[in-house]
Formats: sequence, C-alpha cells, structure tokens
Amino acid sequence: MKKILLCLVTCLGLSGTLTAQTKTVTGTVTGGDDGLGIPRANVTVKGTTRGTPTDLDGNYAIEVSADETLVFSFIGYITQEILVSNQTTIDVVLLPDVANLEEVVIVGYGSQERKEITSAVATIKPEDFNQGNIPNPTRLLQGKVAGLQVTKAGGDPNGNPVIRLRGLSTFGANTSPLIVLDGVPGADLANVDPNDIASIDVLKDGSAAAIYGARASSGVILITTTKGSGETGISRISINSFVAVDQAIRTIDVLSAKEFVARGGEDFKHNTDWFDVLTRDAVSYTTNASVSGSFGTTSYRASVNYRNNKGIIKGVSNERLNTRLNLAHTALNDKLRLNFNLSVTNREFETKNNNLFRYAMIYNPTAPVYDDLNTKNDGGFFQRDLFDFFNPEALRQQQLRGGIEKNLLTTYRAAYDLLDNLTAMVQFTQDRRNTLRGEYDSRLDPQRGFGARGRAGRFNDDMSTRILTATLTYDTEIMNDLRMTVLIGAEQQKRKFEGFGSEVRQFLFDSNTWNNLGAGAIRTGPNTNLYSYFDKDQLNSTFARFNFNYKNAYFVSASLRMDSFSGFGANEKTGYFPTISAGAELTELADLGPISSLKARASYGITGALPASADQALPVFGNGNRVDLDGNPLTTDDVFVGINQNQNANRQLKWETKKEFNIGVDFSVWDGKITGTMDYYTRNIEDLIFRIQVPIGAPNPFDNNRPNTAPNTFVNLAELSSAGFEFAVAYNELNLGSVKWTPGINFTLYQKATVKSLSVGEGLGFKFIRPAGSTPGSPGQNNNPTVEARVGSTVGNFWGPRFLGVNEKNEYKLSAGVNDTDKFGIIGNSLPDGDFGFQNNLEMGNWSMSFLLRGTFGHEMYNSYRGFYENRDAGSNNWNSVVTKKTRNIVSTPTFSSLYIEDASFIRLDNLQLGYNIPAESDWLENLRVYAGAQNLFTITNYTGLDPEFRVTDARQGNGQDAALSPGIERRDQFFPVRTYTLGVNLTIK
Amino acid sequence: MLKLNKTLICFWILVFIATACKEPEQEIFDGLTPEQIAKSDNPFLIEVLKASAYSRIIGTWGGHNSLWSLHEVSSDEMVITQKGADWEDGGQWIRVHQHNYGSTEESIGNSWSYLYTAVGEINLLLKQYPEIASLTAELRVLRALVYLWLIDAFGNVPIIVETDTDPTPPTKTRQEVFTFIEKSVLDNLSKLPDGNPKTTFSQLSARALLAKLYLNAEVYTGNARWADAETQIDAIINSGAFSLENNFFANFTTNNGGSSENILTIPYDEKNAGGFNLAQMTGHYLSQRTFDLQEQPWNGYASLENFYNSYHDKDARKKGFLTGPQFASDGTRLEDVSAESNDPDGSPLTFTPEINELAPNSLRQAGARVGKFEIQTGAASSLSNDFPIFRYGDILLMKAEVLWRSGKSGIALEYVNQVRKRAGADPLTSIDADILLAERGREMFAEGYRRSDLIRFGKFNRAWWEKPASNPSKNLFPIPQGQIDVNADLKQNPGY
Repeated sequence: MKKILLCLVTCLGLSGTLTAQTKTVTGTVTGGDDGLGIPRANVTVKGTTRGTPTDLDGNYAIEVSADETLVFSFIGYITQEILVSNQTTIDVVLLPDVANLEEVVIVGYGSQERKEITSAVATIKPEDFNQGNIPNPTRLLQGKVAGLQVTKAGGDPNGNPVIRLRGLSTFGANTSPLIVLDGVPGADLANVDPNDIASIDVLKDGSAAAIYGARASSGVILITTTKGSGETGISRISINSFVAVDQAIRTIDVLSAKEFVARGGEDFKHNTDWFDVLTRDAVSYTTNASVSGSFGTTSYRASVNYRNNKGIIKGVSNERLNTRLNLAHTALNDKLRLNFNLSVTNREFETKNNNLFRYAMIYNPTAPVYDDLNTKNDGGFFQRDLFDFFNPEALRQQQLRGGIEKNLLTTYRAAYDLLDNLTAMVQFTQDRRNTLRGEYDSRLDPQRGFGARGRAGRFNDDMSTRILTATLTYDTEIMNDLRMTVLIGAEQQKRKFEGFGSEVRQFLFDSNTWNNLGAGAIRTGPNTNLYSYFDKDQLNSTFARFNFNYKNAYFVSASLRMDSFSGFGANEKTGYFPTISAGAELTELADLGPISSLKARASYGITGALPASADQALPVFGNGNRVDLDGNPLTTDDVFVGINQNQNANRQLKWETKKEFNIGVDFSVWDGKITGTMDYYTRNIEDLIFRIQVPIGAPNPFDNNRPNTAPNTFVNLAELSSAGFEFAVAYNELNLGSVKWTPGINFTLYQKATVKSLSVGEGLGFKFIRPAGSTPGSPGQNNNPTVEARVGSTVGNFWGPRFLGVNEKNEYKLSAGVNDTDKFGIIGNSLPDGDFGFQNNLEMGNWSMSFLLRGTFGHEMYNSYRGFYENRDAGSNNWNSVVTKKTRNIVSTPTFSSLYIEDASFIRLDNLQLGYNIPAESDWLENLRVYAGAQNLFTITNYTGLDPEFRVTDARQGNGQDAALSPGIERRDQFFPVRTYTLGVNLTIK
Repeated sequence: MLKLNKTLICFWILVFIATACKEPEQEIFDGLTPEQIAKSDNPFLIEVLKASAYSRIIGTWGGHNSLWSLHEVSSDEMVITQKGADWEDGGQWIRVHQHNYGSTEESIGNSWSYLYTAVGEINLLLKQYPEIASLTAELRVLRALVYLWLIDAFGNVPIIVETDTDPTPPTKTRQEVFTFIEKSVLDNLSKLPDGNPKTTFSQLSARALLAKLYLNAEVYTGNARWADAETQIDAIINSGAFSLENNFFANFTTNNGGSSENILTIPYDEKNAGGFNLAQMTGHYLSQRTFDLQEQPWNGYASLENFYNSYHDKDARKKGFLTGPQFASDGTRLEDVSAESNDPDGSPLTFTPEINELAPNSLRQAGARVGKFEIQTGAASSLSNDFPIFRYGDILLMKAEVLWRSGKSGIALEYVNQVRKRAGADPLTSIDADILLAERGREMFAEGYRRSDLIRFGKFNRAWWEKPASNPSKNLFPIPQGQIDVNADLKQNPGY
C-alpha cells in the first residue's frame, strides 16, 4: 500500500554539465521487503531536474548519459545512487528504511513524513484498533492514545461516545474534537464504518490543529478510509462477519419483594423483577464486505457494512447500512490525480424512554405487570394513580420513538502537478444528513397519551454542507540541505439547517402509530405542534503553511489560518490562528548508541471555537402567543402569532481562543523495537463562548442597551488554564518462547482546568457560576445546583453541604440547610487526575490474543440512584429502594450532600479477543480467521453507581452549553452498562 | 489530449483565495430582526406588538411555582401538603407555608423572572416606538402594573426604563418604586382609552391599579393614602361601567369575557395563551375522570380547613371549593385504590376539608380543592378562564375598607353587605378589622391577594395551622440569589 503513496522529489546538488551522448536506461525497482515492484518510485538524474516515476509494476525508462548518476528513492526506503556508466539495464532493490518505516502522517491539507512532524500527532492503524462490536470509529481508539478520552457510559446502541482531547479545557462552545474524514472537516462519524478505516491521526496540540483554525480548539481527529489496492488485475474480497450478545450488568441492587414488604412497602401480593421484564440478552449481527482492486490507472474499493444492533431494553434497536465507494484515477503521466469518495448511510432506529431503567429499579416489586382492575383505561396493565409512578412495561409498550437517518457524503478531488514541485488541488464536498423521526403515545398510556387520547408526532431535520477547498503546494530546496514546502489554500464552507415537524392528537386507533397524522382529530392547542425552521451559516478561510527541513535533522513548521464566520458580531467576524513549531532529530547530530531515533520538539499554536448556532450576534424576534386582537373567537382575520424577543443578542460575539504550548520527545530504541513518545502541554483558553445568566429586564450592554428579555446571553467569558503530561511506550514483539508479545502502555496526568477569570468585559463578570442545570432533579431536588465554577478553583467542583453523620432518629446531619448556600462548600471534583491504557497483543503460531486494560482515576461522581432512592423516607412505601454497600439506614427526605459524591476511579478489562488463523494454502484464499471476544469483562472500582466511566458532560443537558460545566453527574435515566460477547469470522479472497 | 492551462489554474486558485477572505453576512430566515419589523407597514403590527407585550404578563402567573403560588401558599387560605414523596419538592412548599423561605426558592426566582421579562419586553417596545402615544401610554401603565406586583412581593427592586443603559441596575427603595408607579399611571392616565376593554388597560383599570397602590401605601411607604385610594375607587364606582354579577361564579367561568364585574383580566386561552393550570394544580389524580381532563392532575393545592370553615353554609361562595364525594363524568363513584390505609374515608374518593398533617404524610384525599374557577369538561392542562386582576367586587370591599379606616364604619358596612348579599350571605351588622379581613378572604379566595391583605391588616405574621408566628421581615420575599449573583448592585432585603 505504501508504495503508491505521494512521492516527494528529492533533488540534490547543483546543475551539472550536459554531455552530448545520451541513451535509454530501463529497469525495475523492487522492494527489499517483499520483492514486489514499487510503483511510482522516483528515478531522478542527480544534479538535474530530470526524472521519471516507475509504473505500477516498478518499471522505468529514462534518457541519461553514461557519466550521470541515477537516484532511486521512495518513501520508507533507503535512497540508492548508481552511476550509469555503460549499463542499459539497471534493476534496483530498495531496502526498507526501518527507522522511517512508519511512514507518512496525515496532517491537515497534506501529509508529512513522520520524522518531520514537530507537533503532537498520534497515528493509529487498524492492527491497533480495539476489537469487538464497535459501531463508532472513535471507540476504536478508546484507551489507545494518551490524552484522548473516549467515554461512553452504558450500553445504548443508539448512543454515541463523548470524545475529549487533553481533558476538559473549555466549558464553552465546542468541546469535542473536529472530525476530518478524508479531508472533509466536520463530517459525521455516521459516514464511516470502522471496517473501512485505514488510519486515524489525532492532532493533539494547538500547533498541529491550528491549520483548522476556528474549529480546532478541542483538537482534530483525521480519519482516512481504505483506498483501492494498486495491483492491477487482482481483486480482493474481504468479509468480516460477527454476532454479538449484550448482557445487562446490574451493579445496583434493589429490595426484593419480601424485603420491600417487610420494610413497610405496600403489598400487591406479587413478585415481579421489573428489570427482567424489560430487558433481554440483546443479539446483534454485523457483516462487512469489501472488494478492491484496480484496472489500468484506476483503483477502487467498494464496501457494504451492515450492522444490526439491539439494545438490552426490548424494542431498542439500531440498524445501519453503510455503503462506500472510493475511486482513484491518474492521468496525464500521473500528473493529474482524481479521487472520488462516496458514502451513503441509512440508519433506522427505535428508542425507548431511558427513564424505563429508573422505573425498573424503583417500581413496586410486589406489583404484577398486568391486572384486570381497570383494563378499559390502561390496556390491562397494572397502574396506580400515584405521583411519577408508571408501570414501566406499559410505558415500554405504549410509547414509541423511532426514525430513519440518512447520510450522504461525496467528495471529488483533483490534484494536478503544474510543475514537478508545484501541485494544485481542488476538492469539493457535499455532506447531507436527514433525520426523519416519529413519536407515538398510545391512547392508553397514562403518562402522556391517555389525556391526549393518542398523540403522534413526525419531525424532519435536514442539514447540508458544501465545502470547496483549493490549495497550492510548492516544494523546493532553497539552499543547500534546506528544503521548504509551502502550502497555501482557501476554503469555503456553507451550511444549511432546515426542518419541520408536527404533532396531532386524539386518535380512534393506535394501530397507525405515527404513520397517519391525518387520523388525529385535534391539531391545535396543547399536545399538538407545528413548526419549521431554516438557518444558514458560512465560514470563509484562507491559510498558508511553511515547512522547513534542514539536513533531515532540524525541522520548523509555521502556519497561519484566517477564518471569517458569518455568525459573529459585525466587527468580530475574522479570526487569525497562527502557529510555529520546531524539532530536532538528535540521532542525526550524534551517535546515540542503541537509540535509533530521538526527536525533541516544541510548539505553540492558537486555535478557536465556533458557537453552536450562528444567530447569537443578532437580535431576533421569534414567535409569542397567538393573539386575538378583538378577543372574539368568532372573527379570525384578526388572529396573529405575537412577536417576542426570545433571546438576547450579543453584537460583539467573537471567537473562543485557545493558546497551547507543547514540548515533546519521540524516541525509538534498537531499530524500533521500543518506540515511545512523551508530551507536556499547557493550555490557556480565553473568551469562552458561554451562555451566562444576565439580570433579566436590564439593558443589554452587548446589544446597544436593548433590554434583556431572556434570562441568558451568549458572551465571551472567562479565562481557563490547564496542563497535562502524556506518555506512551510500546515494545514490538518481545519473544517469550514461542509467544510473541507486543505490549503498549500509555498514560496521561491531567492538571485540571483552573478558572483564572470569569469576566466578560464591560465591567461585567462573576465570582462564580453555578449552572442551574446541575440540580439533581425531580422530585424535590430541582433547585440547588450541585456544581460550582469559581475564580481560582478547578472546573468540575461539586458544591453543596457536607454530610456529617446521622442523629438518633436516623436523620441526616448536614453542614448546611438547603437555603444556607453561603455555608456550602466544595465536596468533590468530577474531573480525572489521570488515565491509562495497557494494550497487549500476543501471537503464537496461528493463534493471536489481544486485551486492553484501561483505567481512569481521581474523579468523583454524583450517584443519583443513591441520591434519590436509598433512604427510607416518606416515599419508600410506594417506591422500591436501591441498596448498595454504601447505603445507610437514613429516614430523611433525600437531599443533595457529600454523602452521594463517590470516588469513581476504576480499572476495566475493556476488551479481550482471541483469534485463530486457519491455515489454508490456496491461490484464492488469502486469509481465514475466526475469533471470539468480550467487551467490558470486569471493572474494579469503589463506585456503587452504574458505570464509573468519567462523565464529560451532563446527560440531562445533552452535549450542549451548560452540560460541559456539569460533568460527573450520573443521572437516573442512564442506560445500563452491558457486557458484550462476540463471535466472528474474517475472510479474504483474491 | 486534454490541454490544461496552468496559468488559468493558478489564477483561479488565487481568485478563490481572495474570495475566501471576504467576511460572510449572517441572514435570519425563521425570525425577524428589529430592522425588518421597523420596515413593516402591516396595519396590524402595532396591535400585535402591544398584545405580545401583554402576553408577557400572561406568562407564568396562572401556573405552579409562580408568583400566584407564593402569594397563595404563604397565606392562610391555601396550602400544598406533602404526601409522601409526592409534593415534597425539596421542602419548598413547607418552607413557604411556614414562612421559612430563602433566596434560592425556585418559585421566588420564577416570580422575579416573570416580572422582569415583562419589564424588558415593554421597554423594548418603548425603545423602538417612542413616538406612538397611544402605545407608549398603555405600555407605561402596563409596566406600572408589573411594578405594583414587584413592590408588593419584593419591595425594594431596580427601576428600569427604556432609556436606561446600566447593565446592572441598582436596587431602589420601596418608596422610590412607589413614586415611580404612581407617576407612571398619573402621567399617562388621560392618554388611555375610554371604555372597558378588560384585557388591555383603560382609564378605569388604570385607576384600579392606583387604588390598589394607595390602599397599600402604608405598607409600601409608611404613609397611608386612604383618601387617594378612595378618590380612585369612587371614580370607578361612579363611572357606572361595572356592576356585580348576580351569580358570583359568572366571573370565573370558562367564557367569562363578558363579566360585568371584571375590570382587568389576564385572557388565558387553552389554544392561544396557555399557562392557567389550576385544574392540574388542585385536582386529585382521579379528578381527571370527573372533568375528562386531557392530563392527569397533580393533587397539590388545597384550602386550609379554618379558611374553608370561615364560610357560612348559606354563603354561595362556599361552592367555590370541591369537597365531599367525587364522581366520574359518567356519574360513577371514583375509587382511589391507592388511598392510605389510615384514611378514614377509605378508598372512595372524598375531599375532606380537614387535613391530617402538613408533612410528611398528608392524606391524598385531604383538603378542600379550588373550585372557584370553572373547570371545563375535556379541558387541556391550560384553562381558558380569564383571570381577574381587578374586579368590581374587590373595588366595593376596598371602598368599605377605606371608609372603615377613616372611621365611617356605617357606610362601610353597606358596601360589604352589597357583596355579601350577592353571595346570599346574611348581612353583617358590625365591622372591625377581623371581620373585614375575613370578608375579603371569602370574596377574594384564590385571586392572589390574600398575602397582601394579611400584611395590610397586620396578620401575616401570626401563627396558623402548622405555621408558627413569623418575623415581619418575611413580609417581603427575598431577592432571588441567582439575580444577586449576576447583578452585584442588587441589595438583599433585610432579614435574608
């Protein structure tokens, strides 16, 4: 594969004298590793600009004179020079350059050799990916890259992991890294199946990411899909198919029916395990098939990826069909290179109310699933008119949610070599996403549908992105031993978001669910809805990058990007994002004995972040109540929808900026037997795009003193700083008898983000922010926030009263009452101090085994199940109680305190796989492998909640604004964790 | 063979790079900018904008956790008891009942937001249309109404007008707020429409506002203004525009828009202007079947037993409660299979005026429920009854009060008895503070004035059922902590 990678021309020396006599020399360039011809290897005449690439089989022909020297080079191989003299056939075997074998690293808008990289970039190849039932590409990296946190609590097949690079270092705009899929920034991960990925590059520091400017503050993840193979006439078909079973892990216990009655619970004389009623062992199937090959100068790879994933709650499913075609074509003597990538994804999903888990835990265990008390009104289910008390099986059957998501991503790219060292590239991308959702609440559903007599809704959201990119790349040797590569480029991104939806109610039958809105009789008023929306934004960018390489020993890289975003204030639209980095390969300067490579590097870069929506800088009036001007319902020509200003504008809204400094070392010992990397970084984040509370009704200083009519305004707030140390080392194939062991370990120590200021400018600012959304919730705990961010303290602090013990009546003794907020204190922190991953690959003959141990430590979490349901309070006659090893006999009404903040450090055997290559000597069968694996096998932790996985954002608030400031809260609608077993087969035919 | 013009490619790329340096403009497609509104010549625009400002006072008034909730539950006429985990709500309603509220109560924050959102919206319009006299006069009086609620609940609050520029407006004294309200109404009174539009301000409803302000002037400023109150009351009475409805409950029906007694109302409408959730707030779960409600009620608000018993059985207004056996709409007796085993009424659903305890295990069926406002059969969670802010029956009792306060008990009694007579109650023969306060209570139950009346009569701090005597500092609600956190120039009320 590497043989068809981009070639770099190396010209050495000054122009020589031309001789009169020339002749044609032909030959073949083959690789010393596999004996195959190297396509597109460089054959140049030393001291001239003359040269030719080899063809796909490694053959070449070139006009030279006898006294000239031919230079044969290819990336990853040691360059050879041969004097022509009287030869007419020169066959060359290039030996692999072991130190350089790892190749080319994809960086933004281009690629670089690994040795030239001067910033923190990690590259992960498929052989290092996590194994098992992993539908989302980022989970392939979980535990693999120091500083990259990929977290997904619970086993929801419709849930996506949350990704953070280098910890939580903003609570503002975008906290997830920018995904760049085959050069398309902002692409949806739904567009790529893990099976189609050739490599993932993680741009960790501000310098590497800065070429993506205003969207790069949270880092960048570059995903490259597998391209067609270069061998003419050979088609390769690969099939990977597996079956997976999810089993629920019940880490929280509840009282049995007997215990519940003994404790004084109301006895309905049955014994129901509600969890068993609702859940199942969920069986999922996945098949990936691909075919690749080439004809002439065209290579192709086409794949079909089918995943049918079921959830442990009956009725939860996610069926995804992804098809992809990657085409590459070269013309005009390889000077013109065309690429075409097409990905089409169809996803059909069914979800259930995640509160089913909560009801399954606390519903009365003596209640039957069905009774015949009131069948007319509740469909035969056992129901009682108690507050927030719904038969979970009834909810499961009576509330339907689902939909279809369609993604289309097409990219056309043309690169043309204007000169040998000047390449123009143009790329056009169209990215379309459409989601069509449906909701139905049965006429008999007591929670939502009964009063509405059946409620159906249909919602369509459509998003389209068009990106046009053009670059010029110029490569030259500006003086002896000093090579320079220049990239200049421009990009224009236009996005559109549009959609509509409607809800109607009062149906005669449930059977049509959401498929026949016309059968709903009532279309206005409560429990109905009709809306549409349309938003558009645009990002214009230009950028330039300079790379210098002096004697393959010193490297300097500098870039500048300028981004203009439509959604910022009139005078704040444009931001500049510069970076500079430098490195030195010390083995080029001195002999370091067994150390085959030692590169020291330092970088500094500025990146930005965009707001979640583009209309925050403008005052916008939206819809108010419907108003009937004369108050007479019989006249309708005077009925209008009122106009209210529902958001406060900020005409000065601008970029969130992050300044990052990084120093690091990459090393390799004994010709790559041991490889490793170390990084230390500091980050300073300013002008966070955050929605603050404002004095409602007061003049808005950000909007010409027009009054605030909403409680919040988006502003540029605060200054944060954070730092971290990352370390990764791997040993390549340690021989233990017949077993070859390749261990790799990485760990990260985080210096948590510190709030340096919470000022907004204009004399406005705060001493602290207590996000309103961080309250535990209903019942009874809707009011006091549990999290505080204060100037001088770290982000993620839990804030509340301290639990001091219990009194003689088994009531709480807390350090402060619920309204004594001035006596509250910091009672924990939800951000981890560090995490690690320990990957092990073992091979013995045809057997292979891999496993990953992963851990996170130093973070605390709020355990909502205990925080609401472990006390023997007034509600516990109706509701079942949870029992953990930390449960105490307390009778008070549940109140938030340090009692429910738990250390959540954990070590988990995340992934284990055992595989066997079936030896098959065959012309057509290249590979046949069977494998079995398990995910989430065991977890060692003191945490008594569901899943100690670090919660980067607050699930109740989605992934949005306030959510990032309230990490570490395990909500009661958390999808339960699962253990997954897989059994599969891999097959490659050629 | 394809001939590529290299210069052209380079030129195109450079042009594209130059284009990409341009700053893109943001357009709004599904909302309106102030500029777009300013350009409109739609003849309905100003009326719609005005109605939009009014809709901010529709806001959250009629819902749970609102200013209305605070006024009612802190008084002696309404309570939300804790029924196990149900209505525990972090103890908020027990604290409000027992006058232990603090600055982080959800309802207190909600009330402030409700009122100042309206101030903001009104000022926004005043800023945009300073020239349209009919609009500005009405909006300034509407703003005065919001400030009447602010001075009553919070006392010392920032005064914000459309020309202000201070992003953190400072607290003003209750006296200053009083003067602001008085001036706002007096300056604009003559520019208000005549007649009796009921859902928007007229000269008469503005006078009702002034009358309320002067009636409570002693509480608000320390200086009584009984005579000024009487002047405004007399202007309303003498206008002849209003009269008592023969049927007391005609003022509170679903279609009460034509009430001859209501002076200014919040025009709730289940479709156009939702938020009046009283049926949900007071009904038992099973009351859904009594009224065929679209959503299950929440079993919350009930009356205190003593308050309920302050009505004579002959008093028609006593029917403003839901008590006794409850039936489904088809006439069958409702059975509460989840009734507590210690409920003396057993499982058949029966609302009893007596309530066993405030917390933690108040019986599900305990307490007389609010039936004063008609609950329409098949109602949505929002009712369509217009909520009276000023009502002629109230004006008559206010007249009685100012007369009594100026020593004219004899004439005062006549006005009280007008109101009692309409309710079929025996006329009173004497009058004193307690009698007058009790009569105001019976007439004005659930209309959001009880707390204010108790304070004016000096009774708010006495002990009542499950409530000890409280400190006079509780006569003002605290400024919400969340607002102080974002506006350092706000001063917390004394005692918090």
